[in-house]
Amino acid sequence: MHVGKSTSLYLPQLFFLFLFICNFLLLSLVYAQTDDPLLNSEDSSVAIPDSELVVVAPVTSLIAEDYKYDDGKQINLSWVPSIDDQLVGSKVLGYRLFRIIDDGKPELLAKLRCGANSYSDGKLKSESVYSYYLEAFSKNFIATSTRTVPISPEREWINFDRKYLFLLAFIIGGAVIFFIESARRGKKLFVRKIAGLEAVDEAIGRATEMGRPILFIPGILDMNDVQTLAGITILGRVSQQIANYDTKIRMPVSRSLVMTAARETIKAAYQTAGRPDQYSDDMVNYVTDEQFGYVAAVDGIMVREKPATVFLMGAFFAESLILAETGNSVGAIQIAGTARPAQLPFFIAACDFTLIGEELFAASAYLSGEPKQLGSLKGQDVGKGIAMAAILIGVLAETIGTAWNVEFMNDVVRWLTILFTTQ
Amino acid sequence: MEHVALWIAAFLTLGIYSFLYKDNIWYKLCESIFVGISAGYWFVVLFWDNIYGKFWVGVFPPKAYNDAGELVNSAEPDYLLIVGAVLGVMMISRLIPKIGWVSRWPLAFIVGSTSGLYLINYFTSNMMRQVEATIIPLFGMNYELSAYDIIGNLVIVIGTFTGLVYFFFSKEHKGWFGRTAKIGIWTIMITFGASFGYTVMSRMSLLIGRIDFLFGDWLGLIK
Amino acid sequence: MKREIPLLITFIVGVVLIVSVFVPPTETLGEDFSVFFDIIAVFAFFLGGGNLVQSHFSKARKRQTDWGYSIVTLVGFVAMLTIGLFKLGNPGGISAPPTAEGSLFQEIFDFVIMPLSATMYSLLAFFVASASYRAFRAKNREATILLVAAFIILLGRTPFGMLVTGWIPESFDILQIPNMAIWIMNSPNLAGQRAIMIGIGLGVVSMSLRIILGIERTYLGGDD
Repeated sequence: MHVGKSTSLYLPQLFFLFLFICNFLLLSLVYAQTDDPLLNSEDSSVAIPDSELVVVAPVTSLIAEDYKYDDGKQINLSWVPSIDDQLVGSKVLGYRLFRIIDDGKPELLAKLRCGANSYSDGKLKSESVYSYYLEAFSKNFIATSTRTVPISPEREWINFDRKYLFLLAFIIGGAVIFFIESARRGKKLFVRKIAGLEAVDEAIGRATEMGRPILFIPGILDMNDVQTLAGITILGRVSQQIANYDTKIRMPVSRSLVMTAARETIKAAYQTAGRPDQYSDDMVNYVTDEQFGYVAAVDGIMVREKPATVFLMGAFFAESLILAETGNSVGAIQIAGTARPAQLPFFIAACDFTLIGEELFAASAYLSGEPKQLGSLKGQDVGKGIAMAAILIGVLAETIGTAWNVEFMNDVVRWLTILFTTQ
Repeated sequence: MEHVALWIAAFLTLGIYSFLYKDNIWYKLCESIFVGISAGYWFVVLFWDNIYGKFWVGVFPPKAYNDAGELVNSAEPDYLLIVGAVLGVMMISRLIPKIGWVSRWPLAFIVGSTSGLYLINYFTSNMMRQVEATIIPLFGMNYELSAYDIIGNLVIVIGTFTGLVYFFFSKEHKGWFGRTAKIGIWTIMITFGASFGYTVMSRMSLLIGRIDFLFGDWLGLIK
Repeated sequence: MKREIPLLITFIVGVVLIVSVFVPPTETLGEDFSVFFDIIAVFAFFLGGGNLVQSHFSKARKRQTDWGYSIVTLVGFVAMLTIGLFKLGNPGGISAPPTAEGSLFQEIFDFVIMPLSATMYSLLAFFVASASYRAFRAKNREATILLVAAFIILLGRTPFGMLVTGWIPESFDILQIPNMAIWIMNSPNLAGQRAIMIGIGLGVVSMSLRIILGIERTYLGGDD
């Protein structure tokens, strides 16, 4: 179905731009007043009355250290609280932390509660030199600590705390790339059948025979979510089949960027199938960003247009059940996939086939049938193998190590914990 | 005014509920109101939050004054945000068919940044942390665990292991591998059943909320 | 070239963001790029919003089925845009947030969008009942397991669970439904969740690499 272009096609967008420009002009009239919290600080030189002085001891061991593996923006402070800082009946009411930049005037950085023994000072400049001191105060006395040695935060270029993350990511990423290359060179790779994906052809065929449209719902999040990306890549495969069979497709979306990407995807499929004139922008339309407004509209489309096949591929929240149940009620064959475990049970209950978590991300590679795409699935299996080996070895080592106090086993556990601990 | 607004809310509520019977004029009207007004709402909110709140205020930070009315140091302009605006304008080039292909550049930027960002995020949170959390001593650190806890730990470890076997793509689910994968899918089904049962009651409470509105706030039958 | 440059952009941006996790001076790039995305998304709304207006306007003009509702949608959309962008009926004027208390914009949200949203959400109560009826017909072993687990958790969260199995002596209290529910949530449920999450993590790695390396490129369209 081809819609002829008309001159009014872009008038709505131009109307928008006009509204937008008007607002930009109005924006320049807006000013703001801000309250700088540091300027509103109390004067630190409190008058001390003559009688009933509540003397408190200052904090000790105040140390300023550069925070390692950052861009030279943070210094961490630690100290031993005043000995008069008690849990019960504390004479100390709190602390005031002061900072001196480049030998300038002291400025109040923070007010801290009793018991505080550390502070992180961020958003610093690596060219400047910083020193700090703390005041412990009672109701009428202030005890000042010694000043820290001046320090500049240092910039590190590599975060060595994350070396094990890099190692694991390198191994698994490397495995993915290795198998992609192996497949590209002609090596045969076996991938087992996934029921939900085997049914895609049949589902599209059903819609073609019945002369009813296919409804594709890519979730309700935007293109900055991986599940939406997965949904769009699956759309690419599905629309190739749709273009070949010349089946109708309807795709209401909840985000404008998704609309743009989906149109590119479907248009490319029709071009590849040699039917560019059969493509129409009306196949994909924007509804609303509002979650349940979108659902209301999609439900309406389902009951009025009665699609033969419904694909629900992407990120879904509570609306998953509403969509799946409505699709079920109109007799559509439904294939769903999401990486949100909380919504999977509803798809399992209401849909004919469900792609569980990882299968959603594998779907486009599986549907393409291309060896280099299938190679990436092998890489995923290497990752699973590593996870399974780590769990098996770790649990055995931890159990034997604690049961018989075997040092070697405890070391294995320690090493595995370090390897899989993220910073 | 509030009385009128209450009636409008009740009208819209009942209109949506009419869908449970079948599609009808009332539901279509409520649906079209919902779509139109909510689309407008979100554009306005996103415009003021992002175009003004992030871009405009970032590039042209407002002047800050203290209580005495003196100008104090305001934030420094972040000119990097102009890159975002340029990409946004490139997106709108789709309006002009001859240069519409330029809109693929910001799309490529978004897809690339999503892929790059989430690759490490998901790897650490979903893979590394879950493996680390599964490495547990089956009998506890000092043999203090009861039979109940030991069986629980065994189920966690075996269930996670067999669940991973189920998701293996490289081997057919046959023989011993198939039997292991079977245990895995049973574990996953328990997970789904638990999720299902857990949310049923909370879904019911949503309905109670609307009934409370209709019979309480609107009709005044519930005090 | 119309495809090559975007593929190059995807590759460079993807690699830069992966590397930025390990290079502290570039650690904030992810946040900066997220802000770029927010800005781009609002610009993209001109396309989406324009499509909304164009499709409904076209429907109304051609007097297609249900064209009257398209007019309602258009009126609602334009009205909301005007009220919100120009902050009409806002007690704080142009400098106040659009959602300021007492503003017309916020009132429309409270008395139109909120009730509609809450009502749509509450439809889940009906749909979960129909989904349960279908799911609980337990046609195979997996469905039976799902049914039993759901039933135990459901009962365990209500006083009925204790009522039914409260008579079981303390030495066998694990068989009391609330305790079984707790054990299911803490053990097999946790195991299944972990297996699914590990799979998802690896799936995202694989798909992201395919996109960054340009193996997966359907989202970019064809050569035109």
